[in-house]
Amino acid sequence: MSLPTLILVAALLLQHGGYLGDSKNAAIGNPEAIAAGAKLYATSCAGCHGPDGSGGRGPNLVQRAAWHPLSDEGIFNAIRNGLPGADMPPTKLDDDQTWKLVAFIHAISGPASENKVPGDPEAGKQIFWGSKAGCSNCHSIRGQGGRMGPDLTNIGGSRPLGVIKQSVLQPSKDLSFLGNEAVTVTLTNGKVIQGLARNRSNYSLQVVDHKGALHLISMTEVKALDISQKSPMPADFGARLSAQEMEDLLAYLSRQSLRPPETSSSKGKEK
Amino acid sequence: MMRALLLSCLLCASSWAQVRYDDILKGPGENWTTYAGSYQGWRYSPLKQITVENAKSLAPKWVYHVPNARGLRSSPIVYKGVMYVTNSNSVYALDARSGRLVWQYLDTRAKGQGVNRGAAILGDRVYFTTNDNYLVALDRQTGVVVFSRKFADENKGTTSTSAPLIVNDKVLVGSAGGDSGVRGFVTALSAETGDELWRTYFVPAKGEPGSDTWGDLIEWGGAAAWLSGTFDPELNTLYWTTGNPWPDFTATARKGDNLYSCSLVALDLDTGKMKWHFQFTPHDTHDWDAQSWPVLIDTEIGGKMRKVVLHANRNGFFYVLDRTTGEFLRATKLIDKVTWASGIDAKGRPILIPGQDPTPEGNWVCPSVKGATNWMGQSYHPGTGLLYVITLEQCGMFSSSAQEPQPMKNFSGGGATEEGGQVILRAIDPKTAKRAWEYPMTGGGRMWSGTVSTAGGVVFVGDDDGHLVALDAKNGKHLWHFNMGELLTASPVTYEIDGKQHVAIVSATAVFSFGLFEPTQSVPLPKISTQK
Repeated sequence: MSLPTLILVAALLLQHGGYLGDSKNAAIGNPEAIAAGAKLYATSCAGCHGPDGSGGRGPNLVQRAAWHPLSDEGIFNAIRNGLPGADMPPTKLDDDQTWKLVAFIHAISGPASENKVPGDPEAGKQIFWGSKAGCSNCHSIRGQGGRMGPDLTNIGGSRPLGVIKQSVLQPSKDLSFLGNEAVTVTLTNGKVIQGLARNRSNYSLQVVDHKGALHLISMTEVKALDISQKSPMPADFGARLSAQEMEDLLAYLSRQSLRPPETSSSKGKEK
Repeated sequence: MMRALLLSCLLCASSWAQVRYDDILKGPGENWTTYAGSYQGWRYSPLKQITVENAKSLAPKWVYHVPNARGLRSSPIVYKGVMYVTNSNSVYALDARSGRLVWQYLDTRAKGQGVNRGAAILGDRVYFTTNDNYLVALDRQTGVVVFSRKFADENKGTTSTSAPLIVNDKVLVGSAGGDSGVRGFVTALSAETGDELWRTYFVPAKGEPGSDTWGDLIEWGGAAAWLSGTFDPELNTLYWTTGNPWPDFTATARKGDNLYSCSLVALDLDTGKMKWHFQFTPHDTHDWDAQSWPVLIDTEIGGKMRKVVLHANRNGFFYVLDRTTGEFLRATKLIDKVTWASGIDAKGRPILIPGQDPTPEGNWVCPSVKGATNWMGQSYHPGTGLLYVITLEQCGMFSSSAQEPQPMKNFSGGGATEEGGQVILRAIDPKTAKRAWEYPMTGGGRMWSGTVSTAGGVVFVGDDDGHLVALDAKNGKHLWHFNMGELLTASPVTYEIDGKQHVAIVSATAVFSFGLFEPTQSVPLPKISTQK
């Protein structure tokens, strides 16, 4: 996952606790309704929005809260009425079917750890920690692994599968977050620091170097600053890993969670 | 120029340095490494760049607004130019020079969003606890999770609000939740792994010594330990205070003293064994937790040098005990208006005034439920020899309930309200218990801010009206104030970066850092080249 994506999602998660405008409809969070919704989705929606909601001809659905937060009712209305002026047509599904579909979309836009994900997490574990993908050179899980890239301990517990997938396959896609780039800093004393900028401004700069060490730098100490417009994360995982390996890696990442997945019964107790 | 070069190199190298136990042991200076500044609980810094003479030139250096925050309680930790501030289930690492965010950690699926009073550091890690009792260890440089280990069950009412105390290789964590029925404890967890090393409960199990001071509700007796303790390395002893017995306001089901609620306990660091205890308010019915941390000093009492522990108590009295033996030495009135006890007897027990318990109709008692003081940070200044304590002159109505007590149902056996009152900062001489000076404040009696004192002769305190105030530590004279524009619910700290002393405080929603005024130097736009 690219750092900008992480920051985006982190910002998103600050308002998380349930997405904006969660519905009280009984289908939401109900495993049977979600399974039924998955079938409807595969036949009616996947063609445009992608099999996992990560988009295609139609928009990415799992990042809904990032770009245009929609309440469950909002999704319901979009499915029912379509979006005039866009290619999204109205449907003839009844209320029950439509709510099942909303329940599925709600689920896939929630944390990956709480959804069924294809692939073999054990095989994915070998890929994550092995040399072919080399993920752990930069990323850590529960204190093991590299420190330069974002921590993935809670990646599945905090992000939808579709977001994780996009971050692995297209790490630079969302690189629009000025101030958090890969940098080479030359200080006025001649010292050179290479690493990832954290929250750079015109007046100060924090850099985590390749060893994971943090440097606090005042811009008055900076002689030259070289900034990469690309994520330091390799962009070739789609070619480097087979489709099966990618699925397994995503299954492993999806299982990474600070907390055990919430079951529907434990959710029920809270209400 | 040379100075700038030197500084940048120092910073580059030092931000990577490990925090050793010895660093915490030697107390604050450039850094502020533990909740109360030092293990002795002094909240005193030897920094002296900011003085009585120049405090009038203090100016804000930066502000960091904590996202979605309200009522922040965090006392910042600062180490080598990085500041760690907590909110509920979250930690923010800030560049202490600029206030820019370095990293943030947020556990979105933690259950509940209570208050959080701060973090702790050791080695290359920063530690804090979530509301639902996970001890979380994060890499200090990057915020990477090292471990997240559960130490108590929130389904039994326990929550976690205090900053961990780190001593040597142990992370000491106390429990919160005493107003709804819990069994309070302190536990020592391994700093390396989070494994539990020992746990000491403050309500005895049935059959254990002290269990005869309770009735049927002993399993839910309360005595939570919701504020960080202090530590004497020579005696290898931890000093921790405990909260109210439960139900708070109706005591018919808990006849007896209710040990070890509303007490100060001395625990062996290695085993957690209780060396001694002292109960300030036996059989409390006013929710007067003993929280306000124990301050450890060596001083002359009755013509003899003694190792003592000072404790300003919510019940209205100021206590001095021998911290080796727990012997009661003295108690005096902390505030003027005390109506429940006429004094403290020679053994340390309150001399009760009859008819002061809560009643179904309500009973007007002083101090109020908020207490004569509370968890706001006190400060002890070794130069002036004075203890600076936030006090509250306030009375309130206490009512009891005939309802059957039910744990974990937000039932406290009645209720309490408070009205009016005034917050007064008091400088007390522990040798004599006399007030050297006092600084009365305006406001609604709602603040939770405390103090820090410095070798520069200045006491910094948040007032009851949203100002950070600097006072002369010798006589309480006003030197400087800054309107922070909102309620203050945390205590200031002081640290140094680039050879410049800063004073930082967390307001209800933001972190502020102040230093002596300097004209801004123009910063040229950086020469940036980009690689595609």
